[in-house]
Amino acid sequence: MSDRPVRIAQITCGAEYSGIQNEITSAAATVGAQMFYPDVALKDVKTAYKEFGLPVKSPDLKLAIARAKAIVEGRIEADGIFIASCFRCAEAAIVRNELRRYIVENSKIPVVSYSFNERTSSSTLLTRLEALSTIAKRRELMAREVQVGITMGVDSGSSTTKCVIMKDNEIVGTGWKPTTEVLKSADDVIAEALAESGLKMSDIEAIGTTGYGRFLIGKHLNADLVQEELTVNSKGAVYLANAQKGFATVIDIGGMDNKAISVNDGIPGSFTMGGICAGASGRFLEMTSKRLGVDITELGALSMKSAGGEDVPMNSYCIVFGTQSLVNALAAGYKPEDVAAASCHSVAQQVYEQQLQEVDIKEPVIMVGGSSLIQGLVRAMGRMLKTEVVVPHHSQYIGAVGAALIASGFVEKKRAEKKEA
Amino acid sequence: MAKVFIYPATSLMLSDLVARYGHTPLGSAVSIREHIQTPGFDSPPLQMTAEDPQKGLKWAAVEVPSGIRGRMSLYGPLVEEAEAAIIIDEPELSFGCMGCARTNELLCFMLREKDMPRLELRYPASREEGVTFVAQIKKFLDDLKKEEEA
Amino acid sequence: MKPYVPEYVGTVTKYVFVDSPDTTPQDIATAAYEVAQGVMIKETCFGCQITGSPEDVSRIVDHLRTLDPYRIFVKDRGFPPGDSRRCRADLGGARPGYLGHEFEMKMAPYISYGLEAVSKMTAEELAKAAGSPLPTEEPLDADILEQLFLED
Repeated sequence: MSDRPVRIAQITCGAEYSGIQNEITSAAATVGAQMFYPDVALKDVKTAYKEFGLPVKSPDLKLAIARAKAIVEGRIEADGIFIASCFRCAEAAIVRNELRRYIVENSKIPVVSYSFNERTSSSTLLTRLEALSTIAKRRELMAREVQVGITMGVDSGSSTTKCVIMKDNEIVGTGWKPTTEVLKSADDVIAEALAESGLKMSDIEAIGTTGYGRFLIGKHLNADLVQEELTVNSKGAVYLANAQKGFATVIDIGGMDNKAISVNDGIPGSFTMGGICAGASGRFLEMTSKRLGVDITELGALSMKSAGGEDVPMNSYCIVFGTQSLVNALAAGYKPEDVAAASCHSVAQQVYEQQLQEVDIKEPVIMVGGSSLIQGLVRAMGRMLKTEVVVPHHSQYIGAVGAALIASGFVEKKRAEKKEA
Repeated sequence: MAKVFIYPATSLMLSDLVARYGHTPLGSAVSIREHIQTPGFDSPPLQMTAEDPQKGLKWAAVEVPSGIRGRMSLYGPLVEEAEAAIIIDEPELSFGCMGCARTNELLCFMLREKDMPRLELRYPASREEGVTFVAQIKKFLDDLKKEEEA
Repeated sequence: MKPYVPEYVGTVTKYVFVDSPDTTPQDIATAAYEVAQGVMIKETCFGCQITGSPEDVSRIVDHLRTLDPYRIFVKDRGFPPGDSRRCRADLGGARPGYLGHEFEMKMAPYISYGLEAVSKMTAEELAKAAGSPLPTEEPLDADILEQLFLED
């Protein structure tokens, strides 16, 4: 691996005029990547547009097509592709989607697709560009399929903090806590996992951190690996689901945002992250359980008592309206189990509408993260996708498992260094 | 000397002809220059920030994509300032400032809607058409001068 | 956010393009340097870019136009020359406007021909020439347009 910055090709329409070009460039710089515009001549635009065959009116979208083709056909080199257009532009959404599909099918270059508006900030883009950069820079680490030595993974999520200790390809200790103070929550779950495994901190040979608090905790623990959750979770998911070869789709409905990742041979090919409103996230399910007076851990079992709740009017496109429909449904006399199932259905529907359109769904579909323990949500997602959704063991620890697995790539090197010293 | 909006707003030929025949061309460069020469927060490359699409709300509603509103914040004030317009239909290969078809459609409509002298034509595809193209533009611009003098 | 302090405030920048068998882009740049009087001139593959006060730039442009009046084309530019925000070397690709110029410069010979013809016309002749039908009812497809260029 050389030290040259990761080069991410920018294929966008409208970024400069939305006033967010600087946000894209800064986010890339933060993760050691460099954005560049693939250079094409006028005649390339005409030929590529004609060959691609998708009629569009906007010249910048024709340019986008030509740029994507130049990369896929190998005339321009890129480590990753960032493809984005204005939110609410139908013409661009069609082009974005078709180009993303075209790139995934015809190249091995990782691609992230995004729709922005003027409010898009570099912090929103950071994780996505970091993931692109990671896949390009750390292909070797990402290819790891077996955990070795004793390693620890800490996942500092927006709702919960998780820790996993692995030894010789087995999970030997776990810790789980709602996130309060980022560092304290991490220390608590680490202590929990160490106690369960019977190991001491000094036994740990390598540490990986992920999630929103990854930088802070990474520094605190002097971690070997500090990596965003998109690549870490997908790695953990295919590892636990025993789907490291071939295609897989990983869905993680989180407390703050959702991730949908299409994976090929254990390496993410295209992914999407976000959601318009918390109504499409695990947060809405937390609100539902609160309103129903049950613990979130009981919501799954409750929802499974219902046939699916599809007949309960419920729409969580927006969390405020979603809550309103929740109240209305209860007032209208629907049973708690039907309301619970309807909430699961609504969240699954939002994820399906807003995110799963941006990746190619290929089986097996693996659901991970804390929300994958809510059976009603898994059932709703399976019905929506017409497939049997796989929920691997320890799925709620997915980020921590992925981090421990990838971090074990540092074990041998560290052992060798120790020997030399 | 009249202020003539040129469409495509990035057109080299229209910019040249309008200035050559004694008027002021109004196009993208004028707005971009203003952004580049105004102090504020650093936002390369165009010095456009989230505020520009917000300013664009004057010409396009909030459900219109940000890139259109941002572009309209460049063009809207120029259309208001314009005293005449020359429009070349189908600027299908003008990128960047003219890279968005929806903006171009709205812009065209605003130019047609405003009560001002307007010339619409297309690019020449032969030497003979080159003569017609230049003649139409020159005549249009000469007439503007006559109107001003009258 | 970092504050932005603009450079070249109050200046204008103009592109000067030339497409002529008699005048090269270098001739244009040389001629511009000769009358520059300290105004910034940047030589380019198509002619030059001039940056200075509106009066200075206009003085130089007027001079350059006399060299080959029908084959020199001038356009405003928002950025000063060599600005890293628009520079090909820094972006790894041409700024989008470049392709637009490439497109329009292909019809430069027709427009040059038109400019020369029109310059000799009386007011009546001009009115007559301007009366010819343009636009045609259906705008020409870009590919047909290109074919016409090739055939010409």
